[in-house]
Amino acid sequence: MDKILRINMGASGGPSQNIEEAGEFSALGGRATTSMIVAKEVPPDCHPLGAENKLVIAPGMLSGTTGAMSGRISVGCKSPLTGGIKESNAGGQPAQVMARLGYAAIIIEGKPASDDLYKIHIDKDKVTISVDNSLKLMDNYPLVEKLRKEYGDKAAYMSIGSAGERKMAAASIACTDPELRPSRHCGRGGVGAVMGAKQVKAIIFDDSGCTHRQPKNQEKFKAANRAYVEGIRKHAVSGEGLPAYGTNILTNVLNEAGGYPTRNFKTGFFEGGTKISGETQAELEIQRGGLATHGCHRGCVIQCSGIYNDKDGKFLTKQPEYETVWSHGGHCGIDDLDTIAMLDYLDDNIGVDTIEMGVAIGVAMDGGVIEFGDSEGAIRLVRDEVGKGTPLGRILGNGAEMTGKAFGVDRVPVVKGQALPAYDPRTVQGIGVTYATSTMGADHTAGYAVATNILKVGGDVDPLKPEGQVELSRNLQIATTAIDSTGMCLFIAFPILDQPETFDALLDMLGAFYGIKMTGDDVVALGKKVLTLEREFNQKAGFGAEDDRLPRFFKTEPLAPHNITFTVKDEELDELYNWS
Amino acid sequence: MIPERKPGRSAGAPVFFNRKLTMPTAVDLQVQLNLDSELISAFYLLLQKGVRLPVATGCSVIKLLNDQLGIAEAYVLNRITTLFLDGKPVDDLTSSVIDNGSVLALSAALPGLVGSTMRRGGHLAAMREAISYHPPQAVTTGSGTVTIKLFNIPMKEIGPLLVERGVVLTGSELMTLVADGGARFQKGCDSVTLNGRSSPCAEFTEQLPTIMAPQQTALVKVRWNEAVSQRTGVPPAEGAS
Repeated sequence: MDKILRINMGASGGPSQNIEEAGEFSALGGRATTSMIVAKEVPPDCHPLGAENKLVIAPGMLSGTTGAMSGRISVGCKSPLTGGIKESNAGGQPAQVMARLGYAAIIIEGKPASDDLYKIHIDKDKVTISVDNSLKLMDNYPLVEKLRKEYGDKAAYMSIGSAGERKMAAASIACTDPELRPSRHCGRGGVGAVMGAKQVKAIIFDDSGCTHRQPKNQEKFKAANRAYVEGIRKHAVSGEGLPAYGTNILTNVLNEAGGYPTRNFKTGFFEGGTKISGETQAELEIQRGGLATHGCHRGCVIQCSGIYNDKDGKFLTKQPEYETVWSHGGHCGIDDLDTIAMLDYLDDNIGVDTIEMGVAIGVAMDGGVIEFGDSEGAIRLVRDEVGKGTPLGRILGNGAEMTGKAFGVDRVPVVKGQALPAYDPRTVQGIGVTYATSTMGADHTAGYAVATNILKVGGDVDPLKPEGQVELSRNLQIATTAIDSTGMCLFIAFPILDQPETFDALLDMLGAFYGIKMTGDDVVALGKKVLTLEREFNQKAGFGAEDDRLPRFFKTEPLAPHNITFTVKDEELDELYNWS
Repeated sequence: MIPERKPGRSAGAPVFFNRKLTMPTAVDLQVQLNLDSELISAFYLLLQKGVRLPVATGCSVIKLLNDQLGIAEAYVLNRITTLFLDGKPVDDLTSSVIDNGSVLALSAALPGLVGSTMRRGGHLAAMREAISYHPPQAVTTGSGTVTIKLFNIPMKEIGPLLVERGVVLTGSELMTLVADGGARFQKGCDSVTLNGRSSPCAEFTEQLPTIMAPQQTALVKVRWNEAVSQRTGVPPAEGAS
C-alpha cells in the first residue's frame, strides 16, 4: 500500500485524479489514516455536505494479506450527523481488494458543478471515473446487480442507496460481502451522505492480476498468523459464542441485566426478549435453510454472521446484528424476527444506518407517529417514507435528533447528534462515559473491551471497585482507537483480552509484515495520537465540554428494574482527555 | 448448522451430572415425554424464559449448581462465566445465596464491552457496579423453588440434561411447548406417560387442555430416544430416567 488516490470531483472540466506516494500512511491503516487525513486536510468548520469536506477510505494495516480478520475498511470525513470528525468501518470484501491494488487511501474531495452521478472503477492499471445517470436513485441491491453485469463477480463494490443520494444524515456506505450482497455497511455518522454530496454512486474495486501483499518476513508472519488464528478459535467468545449465535447472543443477557433499552429507553427489560434473541434467531435460520454461521469477508475466522431466509426459505437479509435487532426490536416494542429482518434488509437496500434508523423510529413512536409495537407501521415508515424520500422520510432519515425535534419529543437518546446504541448507560455506567465523551458521538465500539489489562493503559484497575469509570473508559477508548487503526475486526478483542499470547501474536504479525518491532507501548501511543487529533478537530468544529454529556433524562429518570440513574459527575467526564 | 462444540477446541470442562437430584412432587401432574432428540430445540424458548426447579434454599450458587443440580464445578467455573441472580451479575459463586423464588440465569462468555463487563469477576466488572449482586446479611435455609434460565452455550449443553431430570411447567407452558412444536413435535414424540399411564402423543396433546388448567403445574421429564450426551458432547446424567 504505497500510494494514495486523490480524486477531485469538483475539478474544472470534470473529475480529476492524482496518485501520490503514501508516505507516512504506508504503514498505517483504518482509523489512523482516515482521521489523520481528515484532521490535516478538512477545515473543521466546513459544511459536511460542502466541497471542502473530504471522504477518506482506508483499508487496514494487514488488509490484502493472508492475515486473518484483516478485512475492515474505514471511511472518514466530517460527519453530517454529528458535525464532528467521523470514522465508520465495515467488513465485506472492499478492504482486501483495495489493499491488494496497493492503495493506502482514497481521498475524494470537491463537488461536481453539474448534477451528474458518477461511478469510479479501479483496477491494477487505471482509475476510470465516469458519468452514469442511469444509476440515479437506485437502491443498493438492484444497483449492485446492475453493476455486476458490467464489472463482473470478481470485483468488490462500495455504494450508496437512495438515502445517500438524498444526503440523509443517517445514510450509510454499503460494502459487498463474499456473495456480492451489499450487506456490510459503514453505517454510523452519515458517511453515505458525504459520498452522495460528492455525487459518487459506486466505487468498483477489481484486483484481477494482483496478488496478496507480501510480508517482509514471510516465515515469521505465517507463524504469528497461525498462533493468532489458534488463539481466536480456542476462545469461548470468538470460537464458540459468536459463531453459533452471532452478536445477537447479547439480547438475553442485556435483558436479564435490566440494561436492554426498551420503548425508547423507558425501561431496561423487554418482555419479548426471548422471541428475538440470538438463540431463537439462530434456530429459525437453521430451520429455514439459512446459516447461523457465516463470514462477512474472506479470511474471517470468527464467522459471526449468518443468512436469514424468509418463511419460504428465500434469502431475505444477512443475519441482523444485536444492535439492529435491538433498535428495530425492543426499542420499538417489536418482538417479531421477520419484521426485524425485513427492516434490516430495507435499511441495507436504501442505505441507512440500522442503529440510527431504528432509534429514529422509536423516537417517532414516542412522538405519536405510530404506536410502539406496530410492525407494519415500522416497515411502512422505512420502505414508503425513507425509501421514497417523502418529507416524513427525510425527517426520519436524518436521524433520531431531527425526528425528536420534528415531533416534539423530549426524550431523545443521542450524544453529539448520534443515536445511542443498545446498552443503557444507567446500567453500565462506564459505557455511559464512553457514549458521552467519544469523539464520534454515542458509539458502543468507541471504547471496546480491548486488552487494557495487557496493555497496562493507565495502570491496573481493580475490577470490582466502582471508582475509576472515567479511567476505564479512557483506557478502553485509547486501546480501541489503536485496534481500529489496524483495521482488524473488533471481535478479536476477546482472545487478546484474555490470552496474552494471542495479543503477542497480533503484534508479531504486524512486526513481521512491516519489518519492525511493535510493542504494546507503540499501540497505546498510536491510540493517543489519533484520539488527540480527533478531539482537536472537534474542538475547532465548535464542540466543548457541554457536548460531552448524556441527555439529562439519564440522570433524572430511574431505569427499572434496578431503578438507577447515571451518576458519573460532569466534572469527572471532563477529566477523560487529561492524560499524560 | 450451529457447529457442535469440537473436542479440544474449547478449554472448557465437560458437564458432569454427578449427583441425582431429588425432586419433590408438590405438583398436580407427573408427565414423561418420550422424544426424538431432534426436539431438543423445541425447549430452547422455554429454557431461555426459565424453568422452575424445587430446591433446598439458603445455599450458595455453586452449591446449588454442583450439589443439587450435579453440574461439575469445573464446568461451572470454565464454561458458565456469566451469571445473574435476580437480574444482578454475580462475581462470587460462594457468597451468593439462593432463596425461595430466586431467578438464576446462566451464560457463557459474551462479546462486546457490555458482555465483558458482565463477566464474573472480570476486569471490567466495575463498570456495572451499580447493578452487581451483593450477598444478604442473613441467610435462612429451607426449601423452595428456583427458576433457572439457560442462555447460549449452557442452553445447548445443560438444557437437554435439565429437562431429562425434570422441570416444573405450568399447563400454559406445556400447551405452548406442544403447540409451537406443531407437526414436528407430533412426529418426534413417541409417547407420553401421564401419572404412570402411557398414551400416544396425539391423544395426549389433544386432551391436554382438558387434563391441565393453564395455571396447574406438572413435573415434566423427558426421555430422549438417544443419549443426549451423543448430541451435546457431554456425559449422560447419572440415574436419568
